[in-house]
Amino acid sequence: MTASTAPVEPTSPGGLVRRRRLSMGDPVLAWGVRILSWAALAAVVVMLIDTALNSAKILQHESILDFLFGTVWAPASTIYGAVPFIYGTVVSSVIALIFAVPLALGASLLVNEYLPARIGGPVAYAIELLAAIPSVVYGFWGILVLVPVLRPIQLAISESPLGTIPIFGGPAPGPSYFAAGIVLAVMILPIITSVARDAIRATPRLQREGALALGATHWETIRHVVLPFARGGIFAGIILGLSRAIGETIAVLFVIGNQPQIHASIFSPGYSLPAVIAGEFKEANQPFHPEALIALGVVLFVLSFAVNVAARYVVSGFEARAGGADVR
Amino acid sequence: MTAQPGTIGVRIQAPATEIAVQREVATTIEQSSAAIEVHELSAYYGAKLAVREVTFNARQRAVTAIIGPSGSGKSTVLRALNRMLEVIPGARISGSVRFHGIDLYGAEIDPAAVRRTIGMVFQQPNPFPTMSIYDNVAAAARFNGVIKGRQAADDLVEACLVRAALWDEVKDNLGKSGASLSGGQQQRLCIARALAVNPEVILMDEPCSALDPIATLQIEQLARELAEQYSIVIVTHNMQQAARVSDETIFMSVDEARAGYVVETGSTAEIFTNPKNTITEDYITGRFG
Amino acid sequence: MSAETLLRRTSAGRGRTDRIVFALCLIAGAIALVPLAAVLYYLLAEGLKAWSPSFLISKPGGITTKGGGIVNAIIGTLEMTGLGLVIAVPFGVAVALYVVEYRAGRMAIIVRTAVDLVAGIPSIVIGLFVYSLVVLTMGHFSGLAGAIALSLVMLPIIARTSEEMFKIIPRRLREGTMALGMPRWRALFAIYLPTVAAGIMTGIVLAVSRAVGETAPLLFTALGSNFVVTDITQPMSALPLYMFQNAQNIGFPAARERAWAAGLTLVAIVLIFNVLGRWLASRTQIRLLQR
Repeated sequence: MTASTAPVEPTSPGGLVRRRRLSMGDPVLAWGVRILSWAALAAVVVMLIDTALNSAKILQHESILDFLFGTVWAPASTIYGAVPFIYGTVVSSVIALIFAVPLALGASLLVNEYLPARIGGPVAYAIELLAAIPSVVYGFWGILVLVPVLRPIQLAISESPLGTIPIFGGPAPGPSYFAAGIVLAVMILPIITSVARDAIRATPRLQREGALALGATHWETIRHVVLPFARGGIFAGIILGLSRAIGETIAVLFVIGNQPQIHASIFSPGYSLPAVIAGEFKEANQPFHPEALIALGVVLFVLSFAVNVAARYVVSGFEARAGGADVR
Repeated sequence: MTAQPGTIGVRIQAPATEIAVQREVATTIEQSSAAIEVHELSAYYGAKLAVREVTFNARQRAVTAIIGPSGSGKSTVLRALNRMLEVIPGARISGSVRFHGIDLYGAEIDPAAVRRTIGMVFQQPNPFPTMSIYDNVAAAARFNGVIKGRQAADDLVEACLVRAALWDEVKDNLGKSGASLSGGQQQRLCIARALAVNPEVILMDEPCSALDPIATLQIEQLARELAEQYSIVIVTHNMQQAARVSDETIFMSVDEARAGYVVETGSTAEIFTNPKNTITEDYITGRFG
Repeated sequence: MSAETLLRRTSAGRGRTDRIVFALCLIAGAIALVPLAAVLYYLLAEGLKAWSPSFLISKPGGITTKGGGIVNAIIGTLEMTGLGLVIAVPFGVAVALYVVEYRAGRMAIIVRTAVDLVAGIPSIVIGLFVYSLVVLTMGHFSGLAGAIALSLVMLPIIARTSEEMFKIIPRRLREGTMALGMPRWRALFAIYLPTVAAGIMTGIVLAVSRAVGETAPLLFTALGSNFVVTDITQPMSALPLYMFQNAQNIGFPAARERAWAAGLTLVAIVLIFNVLGRWLASRTQIRLLQR
C-alpha cells in the first residue's frame, strides 16, 4: 500500500488537534467506518418508523383520544384503552421508588460514610453485582417467595381499620400493584445505591474537612456539605432506577396479577405497559389486538424517553448550582 | 474593637449558649501566656513516623509561624493542634497537646468542640459551593442551630465579614455562590466563616500559597490584625512571609529517617537575625530548602 | 465552670443526632440487603436440588417428570448471543470510531444520539421492533430474529465502552504515528487496535453478561422451544426463556426445580462475565458508565 499523503490538517501549537478527518491514508477504512455507522443509524430510524406505522394502524379502529384515555381494555369486544396500563406502570413504579430511594440513600451513606473502607468497598462491589441479576430470576423469586409472604400482610392491612382508605382496601388475592412495586424496589435498589455512592464518594475531601474544621459533627457534614454536593448524582441514580422500573417486563408480569383493570387499592391485581405486551402478544388474534399492543409499546417508549429527557434538565440544573451560579 | 484583658473573642452579637459559656469561662481562666502547649508530640501515618517529639508553646494573641522545608511535617503538626489530623485514615499521635492546661486528646473531650475553639483555614480556599456567601459564613451557626432569628444571623454575618475585611466587597451580593469569588476573596470568606464560630485560636495552613501577591498581602495584614484578639498559628514555606507576619517562629526540618522535628524556636526577630542552630542559619540564608 | 467543661460535649443533642442517623443508615442497609440475600439464598437452596453437571447437557424431558436438562437452552443462548456479537461488534466499534474521530460533526452527534436512544429503549419494545421487521418478513419466529434483538441490546454497551477506550488513546500516540508518515489504516491495526483490544473486550464481556439474561427481547423473536435446535432460522430456546416457560408450569415441583436450576446456571454465567468485565475495565481504566 502506498503511503499516500493527503494534505494533513494543520495542528495548532502544543499538539492540540481540533478537527481530524479519517480522510487521509486508506479511504477504505474511512468509508467502512462511515458506512457502518450510517447503517446503524438507518437501522434505528427504520425500526422507529416501522413501529410507528404499525402502531398507527390502531388509529383506523379508534381515535387517538379513545386509545390514550380509554379506561377499558377488552380485546374480545375490540375495545382498547391504554389507561389501565399507564396507571399500573405509574403506580408500581411510584411504590418502588417510595421503598427503594430511602433505603438506597441509607445504604449508600452506610457503605461510604460509616463503614470502614475495608468492609465498605467489598459491600459496594457486591451491591453492584446484584444489579446484574436478570429480571426473570427476580420474577420467579417474586411469585414463588415474595407473593406468598406478602399475601397475608396485604390481607391483614385491607381488613384492618386502615383498609377503609381506598388505597389499602379491596380484595387482596396476592399478586398486586404492591407486590410488583416491592419486586421492582428490590431490583432497582442496587442501581440507585451504586450511583448514589459514587456521587457521595466524589465529594472532595477539602469540602468535608472544611466543615469538620468548623466543629461540625459527621452527620452535619453529610447533611450540609456532602449531600448537597452529591445531589445531582443521587438524582441521576434515582432516574436510572425509575427508568428500569418503568421498562421492567418479566418480573412485573409474574407478580402483578395480569388484570387489565384500574383499581384504587394497591393490593389488587393490575397490569403494566410492558407486562401486558409480553403477556398478551402471543395470543393476540382479535382484530387490531396486536396493533393495540404495539401502540402500547410506543406509549411505553415515549414515557421512558420523557422521563430521561426531564431528568437531564434537572441534573444540569443541579450541576449549574454547584458550579458557582447564583444560588438564590 | 479593642481587646480587653481577661476576655477572649470579639464583641459579636451571637446570643448562643455555647459562646456565652465560652465568654464566662474566659474570665476565669488563668491568664497563662501560652494558648497551646505542645509537649513531645509525635505523629504517625500508619506505621510511618511523620514528626518526632515536637515541643513548643504558642503564645496567646500573637502570631506563631511554623517554617521549614517541605516534608518537615509542618502541616501535620498544625493539624494535630485542632484534632484534624485524626480525620486522615491511619493517622495518630503520641505526646500531648494542651489548651490552657487541658489535654485536647483526653478521653472526654469532643473533637468537634475542640475544632470550634481552635479554628482552621486551609491552603486551598474551600468555601462551600452549594451555599451562598451569606450561608457560608452562617454555616457554623447553622450547625449549632443556636442563632435565633434572622436579625441575629444578619448581624453575625456582617460582623464576621467586616472582621475579615470582605464586607465592602460582597455586601450587595450576599446571595451569590461562595465559589463565585476570586481566590483571595474566597480565602477571606473562609476566615470569616471560621470567625463565626468564635474560636480562640486560628490555625492557618499555608493560606496564601494558592493566591496572587496582592491577595497574599491582604491576608497577611488580616492575620496581624486578628492577632489583637486571637492566637494565630500559621504554617508557611515562605520565609519572608514569616518574618513579616509573626511574633514567634518555630523552625522544623527533616532528619535522615524522613521524620520532621523542631530544630529551633524563638522570637521571630531572634531566629532571623541571630539563629542559634547552624541548620536554621543555613535555611534562613537560603543555603537549602 | 472550667475550660474542661467547655471542651466536653457542649451540645449533647448534636452528638445524639449523629448516632441516630448512623443507626438509621445501618437499619436501611440491613433491610436493603435482606431481599437480595433472600434471592441468592433461594437460588442456591432450590437450584442445587435439580442441578448436576449432566443437567447442562441433557435434553428437556416431560413437564411433570423429574430429570431433564437445559442443553437446548444453552445451545440457544450460545448461538444467539454469539451471532448477536458478530452483528453488534463491528457496528459498535465503527460507531465508536466515527464518534471519536468526528466528535463535533453533525452526523456524529446524530449517530451518537441514535445509539444512546437504543440504550434507553425498554427491551420488550426492542422485541416488538424486531418482530415487526424480521419475524413478519420471514413469516416465522427464529433464532436469527432473537440474535438481532440481542445485538440491539448489546450495541450501545459495546459502542460506549469502545468510545471510552478510544478517547483514552493518548494524543501523542496518534501524533507519533502521523509524524512517522504511517497511513491511517496501518496505524489503526498495528498500534491502536492492540491497545484498544482490551477495551473492546471489556465492552463485549459486559454486553454478553447483559444479553444472556434478557428475556423480553426473545419472547416474540426466538419464541423458545422444547427441542434441541441448532438451525438459526428456527425458533429456539435460551436460558431465560427456559425459566420463563417453566414458570408457566409452576404448579409442578419438577418443573419448578428445573427452573431454579436454570436460574442458578444463568446467574452464575452472568456474574462470572460481570466480574470479568469489571476487572478488565479497571485494568484498562475505562470509566464504567452505568447502564
